[in-house]
Amino acid sequence: MAATGEEAAKMDCILRVSLAHPTVLSLGGSSEPRGEPGETASEGQEVVTAAPKKPINNSDGGVETAEEAVEPAEPDINELCTDMFDKMAVFLQGELTGTCEDYHLLENMNKLTSLKYMEMKDISINISRNLQDLNHKYASLQPYLDQINQIEEQVSSLEQAAYKLDTYSKKLEAKFKKLEKR
Amino acid sequence: MASAESQPRFGQSVKGLLSDKVGSCSGDVIALTRQVLKGSRSQELLGQAARNMVIQEDAILHSEDSLRKMSIITTHLQYHVEHSKNLQDQLRHLLN
Repeated sequence: MAATGEEAAKMDCILRVSLAHPTVLSLGGSSEPRGEPGETASEGQEVVTAAPKKPINNSDGGVETAEEAVEPAEPDINELCTDMFDKMAVFLQGELTGTCEDYHLLENMNKLTSLKYMEMKDISINISRNLQDLNHKYASLQPYLDQINQIEEQVSSLEQAAYKLDTYSKKLEAKFKKLEKR
Repeated sequence: MASAESQPRFGQSVKGLLSDKVGSCSGDVIALTRQVLKGSRSQELLGQAARNMVIQEDAILHSEDSLRKMSIITTHLQYHVEHSKNLQDQLRHLLN
């Protein structure tokens, strides 16, 4: 009896909690409208203006029974459920979209970088081809360049010889004038 | 935690239990999704990859700029060689 009394107290506390937070869902839309306006509040239970009914504790022969607190089914419960699942789907979609967008960003960056590298590849191919042509042309010009170097050396030696000749001719002129004066 | 929630709460209506169950399942799905995303380390790896790409971008642009300059210089050298070809005839005549 003491145990059942304690259990009843516990049930009262739990019922207060459940009545303070009215539930939304119903069992398959089945409503159990047990209209008993004549019921009075049991001991310790708060009078709630919401729909749920208060359980009735019948104590017959020491056995306490209780009836389920029934709430009237809300007419838009299906809509609310659908709304709930839709919003949850949107939330999960949003969570996954973040990662997808990161992948898209990286994909775009990689594509742009690959385009840049392709352009650089084309430029470097052109440079390579042009440099090969230039090397061939310089190879064909090399004999002429050697000849130009030879000419330049010969001209410089000719210039040296001319200077020497000029100096010798001046000396010769001076000696001739000296001899003429005698 | 889950076992405590699965135990029947005395005095609570079936609707309340059902709503609690739905709420806990929703929370579990959300937590699972987040844990899967967290465990894949995709955010961390992708962020690091993007940062590395940004660091490399400067070097790539500099390389491209250098290559363009090289192409311009080779074009100028080609012009010089073309001009020197005209001088070849003069040189041949001079040497002969």
